[in-house]
Amino acid sequence: MRYSCIVQRLVYRYALLTRLAHWFGALAVAVLISSGLQIFNAAPYLDAADRSTPARRVLSIDSPADGVGRTTIFGRSFTTTGVLGWGSDGTGGEGARAFPGWLTIPAYQDLADGRRWHFFFAWVASFAWIAWLLSSAVKGNLGEMLLRPSDLRKLWPMQAYYLRLRREPPPHGTYNPLQKAAYTFVLFVLAPLIVLTGLALSPGIDAIAHPLTVLFGGRQFARLWHFVGMLLFVGFALVHIFQVVAQGFFNQMRSMISGWYRLRENESVGP
Amino acid sequence: MKRRLFIASSIAAALAGCAPIGTALNDNPGFHHFLGLEGSLDAALMGNLPGLAREYSLADISKHFPVDSLPTPMTSTYRSLLEHDFRNYTLSVVGAVERPLRLSLAQLQRMPQQRQITRHDCVEGWSAIGAWTGVPLRRILQLARPRREARYAIFRCMDSDDQGMPYYESLDMAQAYQPQTLLALQLNGEPIRPDHGAPVRLRVPTQLGYKSAKWVREIEVLGSFTHLYGGKGGYWEDQGYEWYAGI
Repeated sequence: MRYSCIVQRLVYRYALLTRLAHWFGALAVAVLISSGLQIFNAAPYLDAADRSTPARRVLSIDSPADGVGRTTIFGRSFTTTGVLGWGSDGTGGEGARAFPGWLTIPAYQDLADGRRWHFFFAWVASFAWIAWLLSSAVKGNLGEMLLRPSDLRKLWPMQAYYLRLRREPPPHGTYNPLQKAAYTFVLFVLAPLIVLTGLALSPGIDAIAHPLTVLFGGRQFARLWHFVGMLLFVGFALVHIFQVVAQGFFNQMRSMISGWYRLRENESVGP
Repeated sequence: MKRRLFIASSIAAALAGCAPIGTALNDNPGFHHFLGLEGSLDAALMGNLPGLAREYSLADISKHFPVDSLPTPMTSTYRSLLEHDFRNYTLSVVGAVERPLRLSLAQLQRMPQQRQITRHDCVEGWSAIGAWTGVPLRRILQLARPRREARYAIFRCMDSDDQGMPYYESLDMAQAYQPQTLLALQLNGEPIRPDHGAPVRLRVPTQLGYKSAKWVREIEVLGSFTHLYGGKGGYWEDQGYEWYAGI
């Protein structure tokens, strides 16, 4: 039983630029995912090759018959009627569509408009990333977030703590070792990879930077990596949102909106 | 419990709001135009970069080259051309040129040919590799000698949609003179098939497939394209696709 007389301190945790970068970045990622699914719908399959190669198809979402949706992953087919392959057409009806209307921008099938949204918000996301990097570097908390070699041996103890195999988390600063690993991976590995695989899809970029497209295995392969990158980002976002809720939704949301975070008992301000 | 319900419902509302809000904004002409400004930025940044599309080897050629365009023309003019193996076909080069041209298929075939094995990237997402043989567009333009006011080459085609809207495309002069921009006569060593754009199709390997117009009948050199059809410089451009199709 906790008592309310515990002294709780408010600390100013996030600079204005950090907060703006976070929310613009979050908005941009949401738009990029839904407009990206719109673009995927125009050719709802992914091949592990440079040119389209049905023999190397990793994923396809189609409608073999009216009213039936089918998803095929590595040659195994699943009936996914109502969600993938056959579902909401975004105008109130149903039809053959890889991703349904409630997941895409715009809701109805429109490749040209999906591309407009996607390319516009790719800039928003990129500027948000740069703004976040600058603001964190200036404020000095970039160092707190980055995974360091000394954190590696703390990764398992932290995971063990989450799995309730350990009573106490390993000692750490503002961010625990798993958080650092997640943020470092998402911001410095995944985000750049998603941008680069996206650029590799562009014939104009390919013409000035062949090695980029070759690096990812060709254009269709880059499309596959771009999609996988999106799935990993969705995975991160789900865990991130879960953690925000689990760690105190209102306190976390306040800190990312106003900048002020209420420290809990025993919680350190950080190094 | 109420607190959890509130949290869960606010997250669900945020997610469910995405598509309807995005769709409403998409249908707002002002916002739609604002989003489209990004395409102009891309054209300014990348429209005339010096790069060359990657060239492949014979082994890389796609076994199946998809047909994904307006339907093959069914007009009596086109059927008649086809029946006579395009012996009566002429490619006109008109507009802001010193010397307008009318070139028969035989004349085009006698000009020095370039072969390129390049990848065709469709805006929908698929790609196919083919060996294209034909006359570099810049050779034709050098013969026609564009005048000073020339800024764009407009490609008028023989196909049209079910509303009767004809297909057309445009390139600026730098893109038209790009060494790989080709008036293709052959695909994989055979005369181009009717459904691939016989007898002459444009190939622009540094941009998306909709730039590579099929069934080209006339090249008009102009200072501007805003007075043509929808004013955006191409059939698909008039329907919202970017004029610079390198992305």
